[in-house]
Amino acid sequence: MNYNLQFGQIAADIPYILSGAWPTLWITFVTFFLASGLGLFIAMARLKGGVAASRLAGLWITLTTNSPLFVVLFFLFNGLPEWGILLSPIAATLIAFTAISSGYLAEIQRGGIQSVHRAELDAAETLGMSRIQTLRFVIAPHVIKTTYPALSNFFIFMMLGTSMASLVGVNELTGRAIEVTSRNFRSIEVFTIVALAYVALSLLASLSLALAGRIFFRVKARIF
Amino acid sequence: MAEDLANLFTAGNMQFLLRGLGMTLLLTLIGGVTGLIGGFLLAYARSSKGRLLAPMRWCATVFVEVFRRIPFLVTLFLVLYTVQMILPRAPLFWVAVISICLLCSAYMAEIVRAGLESVPTPQIETAEVMNMPRWRITWMIVLPQAWKVILPSAVSYMVMFVKDTALASQAGVFELMFAGKALVNRGLDPLLVFATVLLAYFAISWPLARFGHWLETRLAHRHLEGGIR
Repeated sequence: MNYNLQFGQIAADIPYILSGAWPTLWITFVTFFLASGLGLFIAMARLKGGVAASRLAGLWITLTTNSPLFVVLFFLFNGLPEWGILLSPIAATLIAFTAISSGYLAEIQRGGIQSVHRAELDAAETLGMSRIQTLRFVIAPHVIKTTYPALSNFFIFMMLGTSMASLVGVNELTGRAIEVTSRNFRSIEVFTIVALAYVALSLLASLSLALAGRIFFRVKARIF
Repeated sequence: MAEDLANLFTAGNMQFLLRGLGMTLLLTLIGGVTGLIGGFLLAYARSSKGRLLAPMRWCATVFVEVFRRIPFLVTLFLVLYTVQMILPRAPLFWVAVISICLLCSAYMAEIVRAGLESVPTPQIETAEVMNMPRWRITWMIVLPQAWKVILPSAVSYMVMFVKDTALASQAGVFELMFAGKALVNRGLDPLLVFATVLLAYFAISWPLARFGHWLETRLAHRHLEGGIR
């Protein structure tokens, strides 16, 4: 064993590495909301669309939930140039993450929509609610309440997943760690710090999601 | 295009990819089995009672929370560098095995915990009143009911682990994705190679996912039929 841990040597690089949290966060936010919107659309197509739309949505869900994100990312980034489509690292990341996550998010939202009982809708109709009112006061609160824990879990999951973007050259948390490591070879120190940063980031995200859920949607989500 | 196809689909290349596929399956299987055992031990440790065992509970909780909150890629690099520090000549395969076991144990611990918690507490309390030791309560009362909850989710998570093993190629471990990258480096058409690799992953993942769904409905059904509750 001839490796001594020397955190002093990388002290100057720590702020640079940690500021990689911003790209990590914004990629997560952007892809999460894009994929949620797409997922909702797919879930509606699966449930309310015609036979063809429903089949197509089902096929999309099966394909996306069974393909490794990493391979899809490499396919987009290294494979597509063959067809003359040259994607930038960030574009490949956004497309791959949105596409793959949309399948999972569609499944989550489909479960939420399906959990609304016929009786609730009948009751709303009996009370003379309009369609907008039914959506606003009956369907939306129910769907949000049932899907919120799964959605916030998936948000954390996506945040951890963004580390793969480093492999096509996006300069986020892991990407900066790889870059700094190739410069000073203090690999264990750098990756320990990055690992701690991910733990801190995801704990923070879990806490704020649980808090937001409790305040806005009266959802009791557990953190640990 | 036709020429590219002919170049890719030679017997040698297919054999190479199949060997990679075998390694992916092996890694997933090792991870799944070790993860189920490790996850059970962690969940068991977390559900222990008494002040003396508190440090064990904390350790288990910290392990699960930390490894569930570190991206697998970062875990992989950390394990790679740590193993290389201790044993510079250690084979890379073991790096992948250690990382996948850490990941699987942490995720399975939560699944097993959910399974253990699904058993109604009155049953456990009754057994405690009858002075049964804790391991016997777990073995004879909790597990026979909990496995119906644990197994379907465990299989669903295996689908996730299959896909995570693709990252091991980044640490230089030979498996399906690594075989694909090696073929690309030899000058084969990246589009075709990665599409083939994607299909191969789909061929493992999809049946496994279907099996998980089947188990879920099947076990849930039996649970209702035999319901004593």
